[in-house]
Amino acid sequence: MNSYTIRRATIQDIPFLVETIIEAEKSGSERLSYATIFGLSIQETNDCLQKILQEEIDGCELSLSSFLVAERHGEIAAAVGAWLEGEEGVSSTSMKGSLLACTLPLEVIKRASTISNIIGELHIEVARGVLQIGLVYVSPDHRGNNLTQQLIKAQIERSKSKMDTLTEVHVQVFGNNLPAIRVYEKCGFKKIGEVECSTDAILDYLPGRSKILMKLGV
Amino acid sequence: MENKTLDGLTEIFRKVFAEPGLVLTERMSSRDVEKWDSLAHLIMIKEVETYFHISFKIRELASIQNVGDLICVVDSKLKDQSNNH
Repeated sequence: MNSYTIRRATIQDIPFLVETIIEAEKSGSERLSYATIFGLSIQETNDCLQKILQEEIDGCELSLSSFLVAERHGEIAAAVGAWLEGEEGVSSTSMKGSLLACTLPLEVIKRASTISNIIGELHIEVARGVLQIGLVYVSPDHRGNNLTQQLIKAQIERSKSKMDTLTEVHVQVFGNNLPAIRVYEKCGFKKIGEVECSTDAILDYLPGRSKILMKLGV
Repeated sequence: MENKTLDGLTEIFRKVFAEPGLVLTERMSSRDVEKWDSLAHLIMIKEVETYFHISFKIRELASIQNVGDLICVVDSKLKDQSNNH
């Protein structure tokens, strides 16, 4: 169990990080927002995410520099993305939107614009100066080894080395993703907020109808 | 601040964020508009590109912290365009 090495992700890890983003976005469901919102195939989603990660733009959930990975015997087992919100001066919300804007073709964005109001109902403002846990994924063969906890702990240590005044860690999770909520609770996170969409139509696009904000004091 | 740029951005922001009375300020950022999530941001960026007939590079967008920065980048690109014609 302790034979895993935790390290920063590199360009060579991009294929696993793409898998991480896709699986974390699905949040235990079969709905992938890149397909439901933008109409992308799995291959197109893969190509788009590879391109975005290669941009090496810091400060959001699609930034290569946000990820730590756990590795054993040369195999990547898990990844957790996290960033200090506002560290780059630009909000992670804007950064992610800009990365997608420069990568996705105009026609898929036009399609998305027709449903942005519904999607926007689940938006939770990301707090500045707080460590944000973004996308989390453990490969099925490596589950049960506390890798999420180890990676979150490593992310906190990494952030504290940059900002010793860090006091809070936040994570947003879909309300229906009970396994993930349990893992975060095991890490010490507590629920501090929740938003719920007013319409079931959201379930055509996203894995859940509600989003929960959880906080860990450090 | 170029009035034409501000007028254009105001029109775009009001449409994208569905707020007909929205008044832009240079310091306004995603933290000030409730509906400004990543999806709305990317739609807004594409609308700006279409409206002004410009195309952003990711490094240009990565440094934009607020509406004032966006105005500067748009104005700079429009100036480059007019110098090239």
